[in-house]
Amino acid sequence: MPEMTRSRRTLVVKWVLLVLIAFSLVLPLAWMALSGFKRDSDVLKSPFSLLPEVWQWQNYTAMFHDSPYMTAVGLTMLGALIFTGLSLVVNSMAAYVFARLDFGLKRYFWVFCIMPMFVPGMSILITSFVVVSKLHMLNTLAVLIVPGVAAAGQMFFMRQFFLAMPIAVEDAARIDGCSRWTIFLRIFVPNSTAVFVVVGITSYMAYWNAYVWPILTISNPTLQQIMPVLANFVDDRGPQYGQLMAASTLAALPTIVLLLVFQRYIVAGVRLSGIK
Amino acid sequence: MTPEPMKGSDMKAPATEAATHRERQGSVTAKLGETAPPAREKRAGSREERRTAYLMLAPMMVLLAIFVIWPLIFAFRQSMYQGNFYKPPVFVGLDFYKYVLTDPGFYQSLKVGAYYAVIVVPGGMLIALLIASFIKTLGSRMASFMKTTVYLPTVVSAVIASVLFKIIYADQGLANWVLSLINVAPKNFLGSPTMVIPAVAVPGIWLGLGITTLIMLAGLLDIPDSYIESAQLDGAGFLKRTWYITLPLLRNVLLYLFVTGIVAAFQEFLLPLLIANGGPVNASTTPNLYIFNQFRAATPYAMTFSITASLLLFIVLGTVSALVFRLIRSEKAVDA
Amino acid sequence: MRRGKGLIALTLAAASAVSLAACGSGSAGGTGTPAASGTPGAVETGCSSATTVTFWQQKFEDYQQAWYKKYVAQFNASQNCVNVVYQVVPGDTWTQKLQAAQAAGTQPDVVTTNYGNIKPGVAQGQFSALDDYLPASAFADIKSNVAPFVTQNGKHWGYPMLVEPSTVLYINTDLAKAAGLDPASPPKTWNDLIDWATKLTSGNVKGITIASVAADLGWSSWGLQYNSCGHFPITDDWSAGRATESCFADLVGLYKTLYQNKLMPQNPKTGYADATPYMNGEVAMMVDGSWALGAIKQTKPDLLPKTVAVPFPTKDGGTGETTATLGGWTLTLDAKSKHPKEAAAFISYLAAGDPNIMADFFKQAGYSKYTTRTSVDQAIATNDPSTKQDANMKTISEDIVAHGIAEPQYPWDISLAMGTAIEAGMKGTASVDAALKTANDSINSTIQKQQLKGTAPQS
Repeated sequence: MPEMTRSRRTLVVKWVLLVLIAFSLVLPLAWMALSGFKRDSDVLKSPFSLLPEVWQWQNYTAMFHDSPYMTAVGLTMLGALIFTGLSLVVNSMAAYVFARLDFGLKRYFWVFCIMPMFVPGMSILITSFVVVSKLHMLNTLAVLIVPGVAAAGQMFFMRQFFLAMPIAVEDAARIDGCSRWTIFLRIFVPNSTAVFVVVGITSYMAYWNAYVWPILTISNPTLQQIMPVLANFVDDRGPQYGQLMAASTLAALPTIVLLLVFQRYIVAGVRLSGIK
Repeated sequence: MTPEPMKGSDMKAPATEAATHRERQGSVTAKLGETAPPAREKRAGSREERRTAYLMLAPMMVLLAIFVIWPLIFAFRQSMYQGNFYKPPVFVGLDFYKYVLTDPGFYQSLKVGAYYAVIVVPGGMLIALLIASFIKTLGSRMASFMKTTVYLPTVVSAVIASVLFKIIYADQGLANWVLSLINVAPKNFLGSPTMVIPAVAVPGIWLGLGITTLIMLAGLLDIPDSYIESAQLDGAGFLKRTWYITLPLLRNVLLYLFVTGIVAAFQEFLLPLLIANGGPVNASTTPNLYIFNQFRAATPYAMTFSITASLLLFIVLGTVSALVFRLIRSEKAVDA
Repeated sequence: MRRGKGLIALTLAAASAVSLAACGSGSAGGTGTPAASGTPGAVETGCSSATTVTFWQQKFEDYQQAWYKKYVAQFNASQNCVNVVYQVVPGDTWTQKLQAAQAAGTQPDVVTTNYGNIKPGVAQGQFSALDDYLPASAFADIKSNVAPFVTQNGKHWGYPMLVEPSTVLYINTDLAKAAGLDPASPPKTWNDLIDWATKLTSGNVKGITIASVAADLGWSSWGLQYNSCGHFPITDDWSAGRATESCFADLVGLYKTLYQNKLMPQNPKTGYADATPYMNGEVAMMVDGSWALGAIKQTKPDLLPKTVAVPFPTKDGGTGETTATLGGWTLTLDAKSKHPKEAAAFISYLAAGDPNIMADFFKQAGYSKYTTRTSVDQAIATNDPSTKQDANMKTISEDIVAHGIAEPQYPWDISLAMGTAIEAGMKGTASVDAALKTANDSINSTIQKQQLKGTAPQS
């Protein structure tokens, strides 16, 4: 049947495309993981090769015995999860207000809330430090988490999706006497899982990748975060490339696992099919 | 300075917009027109609504006030003083604004930032759109696989990506090896002022691809299948469907990606620093790298200068974004 | 150790007339044992509670961190008056972290400061002079060519730990011999160097690697600028730029030839300071700091016997000229330190005390850095006599360090302008003369904006 062959051909094309895209996306990650088995100077060797000449297993095994590293991975995950949770709550509420509610000062509040998106980190780095130090927040988990929770970009993103939420449903709920809170919690939040997951991932990675801020604010070794710890393998006089790659690969694993778990929520929401 | 939000009153569900849009193209189906929710009349909210609004906004406003606005005001104040905390600071007024604005290096860095943004933002969005559209056509298992795969580059840090791409661009690196296969002479990727920004943009796009694709995908998944199906029935191919239905419906998402993409690209700093060290001859010195270079000297002058330069960058970014918002809004006015 | 302990006691005692009760950090009643005399080793330092002193070290090679960690711990264990809290800070965040801390008033008591930042720091009132806290003998020990680096207005503002020349030429002898060159008579002039690099460039191996981007050129070419012109591109009183002098054009010409003739990597994989391409045999000669020798010892020891280190050639082949600036690190005491005495005791212990402590540092460094104290030289000669036979070490020490000069003290903007000019000239984005003209304008603008005229520090 021609129908059949056609769909089969489509399937083959899809597979080929999928493999090609996946390959080009995964290659650098594979290179990082495999470079973790190389000797330091071999990582930069020409010609380019993926496989190590000599397998240096100790680059990886050493990491498991490196307690500051392991602590940092765990602690950074913990911080990132708390950060993500708080960030979702704070930003989604504000996003809802800007997408749906009306009040006199809205225009000014919007400018106030969106402006921070354009503030270069460099401009307020030192003064932010002065602020957190005045607030006696240095050397706490809070100093890593709290200052970044309210994120204009994240709020803006959620607002853009909330804007697309059909108003009809909400109007119906209003007529049924639901409060704004109920509408937000019962209609917007459950119907925005994909958005929450995407924002969540971004927040998580933002926390995870923080480098300068933890270095500035944390001197207590037990609170050390992962990026500053990874930086221990880098210096411009000859990084320990092999160990850097191994440590980075291992540090990426928890993130990949979280992604595997949450990617399935990035699917079509029920809301639109439910409306029709 | 930043433009006002699209207010509730002039907001419409994108579905309606798409319908209007298609009406103008003269290819609207009656069905679409019906399913689109009606535009909503709205006036200033009730008292209860206002209270809810303030309550829900409070955490965000308070946090931003403490951790962004307060430091920002401090920073503006600091840009008018020169000092190093050991001696009483000297009031210099707006001198440093003059210094930055008369430094050709500042403008050069803005140009570099713009060039980088012009490649990375549309390039990244286009590739992400293609991949997201592809994922949407896949069955759930293949889609799951792709959703994870596409995000994998993001877990590679900029530091590592830089090491990799430096090797790729080296004299006997992968890039020149590929060129040699098609008989092109070896290129001096990082030594040529014209090629260095595109060369740095490749890892830039690649690192950002994961999240951009997932955002696009979330947007695409928001579009009811019925729209696409009816267009398919009308005989519209992929390109036509994308142009007339998908893109207009994705407008909110695209606006977001565009504005945040520009802001992020202008501020890119690690990749050009680590891959090309800002060279050759500042050809890859982005605004933040320019500021960082000023900051390397630990003098009071350097500190005030770098703070002033980054505040000016803030004003530039805010203005550019305001223009983008305005453009999109005016287009909308035409549309409606 | 025993001696070290005595020295602290000595320092603390000598530091002031106030009794050691000060160590008790405000605890009333003076539970501390008063320092009765300055007799070395005779005083037991007993304190009821230790004063905390914070110390930040800029991150370098791993062995440095290990060394600091070890001796900070030993210092803390050796007495109970001072407890040093030690923190390593990555170089790329150093300035930001330090300035943020200074702005908030949480700056550390002791930091590692490089020579280049000593005099600007003194001008800003950032340091306390160490003369009030360390015994005079500690300063007498400093070598005479290093002492001026930390001296201003007759006082010492930092205690020097090490020097390292930032420009040394390394030659792979195997590759040189294969190209018919004799490593025993290395290039003497810039033309020789070009000749060598040309002969050594074959296939995938480049003749030489040297800095090629402004940020690296800015500092790594200081010695060469001085060699070419006898001065830096600014007048001695810092009143005007002099980058347009033809001797600077000669230097840019050297870089340009090396680059344009493809005698060096066009797209280097690493920055100037990283020796990896040389260690991988991708280049036959390398210009790098003395620290590269340490990296080779640690990473590719089999390459060591095949490597000779020689001074960078001079423009006209003269010997005994300056071709390198001496970078290096000191320990400085913050002007706002609340516990200057205790902090100084730590500086004294680590850098100025028992010479065996610093001798151990140089041993860990594979002797790729150089001493600042006569007594440390003696300790090394006693502990590790084999170092005398190390030809490379000898060359660097006698032919490079001995003629090395201090890094320029002017703001980095000036060095960066020169680095940019060299890069523009070598890569051909501007003619050599135009590039130097731009640099000169930029230097003059820096002089004007930063009001540098007449502020050049005098020792």
